[in-house]
Amino acid sequence: MNDTLHVVEKLADWRARALDFERDIQKAVLGQTRVIRLVTICIFARGHVLIEGDVGVGKTTLLRAASRALGGDFARVEGTVDMMPSDILYHTYLGEDGRPRVEPSELLRLAETLPVFFFNEINRARPQVHSLLLRLMAERSVFAFNRVYHFPYLSVFADRNMVEREETFELPAAARDRFLMEIPMAAPDDEDARRRLVFDPAFHDTETLIERVTSGSFDYRRIPEVARAIQTEVKSSEALERYVLNLWKALVKPADAGLSLPDVDVSSLIKGGASPRALAALARAARVRAWLEGRDYLVPEDVRDVFIEVMAHRIFVDPIHALRGDDIVKRLCHAAFDATPVP
Amino acid sequence: MRITCLVLALVAALSASAQELTARIRSARPFGYFVGDLIHARVDVSGPENAVLSRASLPKPGPLTGSLDLRDVTLRETVENGARVWRLDLTYQNFYVALDAREIEIPGFELSVSTSAGAETVKAPAWRIGVSPLREITPQKREEATDYMRPDGTAPFVDEATPRNLAAGAGVAALLAFAFVARDRAWPPFQRRRARVFSALANDFSNRLAGSDDSELDAAIQSVHRALDTTNGATLLSSDLPDFLCRRPEYRPLRTDFERFFAASKRRFFGGDDSSDEFRGEQLAQFVTALAKRERSG
Repeated sequence: MNDTLHVVEKLADWRARALDFERDIQKAVLGQTRVIRLVTICIFARGHVLIEGDVGVGKTTLLRAASRALGGDFARVEGTVDMMPSDILYHTYLGEDGRPRVEPSELLRLAETLPVFFFNEINRARPQVHSLLLRLMAERSVFAFNRVYHFPYLSVFADRNMVEREETFELPAAARDRFLMEIPMAAPDDEDARRRLVFDPAFHDTETLIERVTSGSFDYRRIPEVARAIQTEVKSSEALERYVLNLWKALVKPADAGLSLPDVDVSSLIKGGASPRALAALARAARVRAWLEGRDYLVPEDVRDVFIEVMAHRIFVDPIHALRGDDIVKRLCHAAFDATPVP
Repeated sequence: MRITCLVLALVAALSASAQELTARIRSARPFGYFVGDLIHARVDVSGPENAVLSRASLPKPGPLTGSLDLRDVTLRETVENGARVWRLDLTYQNFYVALDAREIEIPGFELSVSTSAGAETVKAPAWRIGVSPLREITPQKREEATDYMRPDGTAPFVDEATPRNLAAGAGVAALLAFAFVARDRAWPPFQRRRARVFSALANDFSNRLAGSDDSELDAAIQSVHRALDTTNGATLLSSDLPDFLCRRPEYRPLRTDFERFFAASKRRFFGGDDSSDEFRGEQLAQFVTALAKRERSG
């Protein structure tokens, strides 16, 4: 009993610090409250993130700010078409004596202290690299120099180049399913934020901007413990669980659930995805959202708030609709929300 | 009209050359006309290719003599073999009541034509046709004056049933089409009133909720949720409330009640602990009654 009370108190304390963490990031990243909230949810749900956004909207700044606020290190690699897994694991160079040297890469060196690893343009890298990344994400470990390197605090953030199609390797379904969320990031809509981003010199220098963020406002070493506590303490009622299962059913068999979309035959729309892992990820993310909202129980709004970001990139539609982008999946999700009763 | 190319009268000719103005009159026959008959004649006027006929000089339809009318004049203009040809189709009507077979005269006319040599006149001469009487001069004596009269022709029998049935069918089809359009456009009386879901629910609750237990209250709250979903057109969550009240302003005065209902529902179905919940059957019935009232005002 006392233990439970203790955990509840600690959760409340951690929540206050998590909100501080969000506010700290907002000092450096303007007009992205929703994106910051989703990134926070992913960090405390121990998930990995696909970030979808145009160039120059502040993805790297956001991740560097998050890394600094967590008090950990930050590593970044750029996906290229000729990149091999060894390029991520090993640093090769010629020593002063002219002999070749092979040493651990930055990723391996920072393994124990790395909460944020940014893989830019992941779809430029080959499937071999995707495979390495899959293991890194799934097991938080890699094998190099004849031993296993562990990454106990790692969250992978990957960006996809959605503009070019040449020399890109689309992420396979299995790889996409490993990402907890796909978060869209666009320039802020707020007029004042836009003006400040353009004309305030403070936002032109990333280094100075990152300095604004209080280092270690939430210690990254506590994240695994906090994440476990959240998943244990935030309860889901029978009505809520039934709601999530009904949403799942509606997504997998939309025609049976009576969903309809204009100009689309929903009976042949869905080809795969919406796996049990996806629904488990949804529950994890929704619990973190409930915790951030100051509740110890889930409500339908928690599920709905993270649903598109958690589910849309894991639902695979008939190829005839795939060229229309993920808009059709989002429309299907909204139709499922509209048609699924709760409680 | 088939003209048998009988040349009746010809030719007012200024010259035989294609460059000269000529007029030629053709008619179907020169005899055998009775009172009231139409007499068709074609007058071909030819002249130089660059000649221009003055339309004002064409004969005008109307009475020509006391017993002859010109009914119609049609002009066509062509170029044939390097000569311009004006083809006049004339329709006369004879009103001369002949007592014996005799000839009457169709008056001639003149046409003005402009050529490179200046204004010239071509004359279509008068021509004659033979007209005949309809009956003998002195008919056989009859006893009754009415015997001289010919009986009226019998009126043709027209079956009214078919057009009447067709008209009725077309009328029914038109009405059906109109009804279809009216239904499609929701014109009255197809403009269906919104179902009064809250009124129905209030009637149901007035009997059911008194002294209800927890499971009945759960079912009642869920039925209110379903009614709200129906009114909203989609599942309504508490976070959708501002948007819903914006779209359905008739429910705006109940904002506090809505918030109380959603909070109670949330505690009951998702929060787990409802021991201190004061939102019971009575409050729910009051909320639904208020909703029904607002629904009727909307």
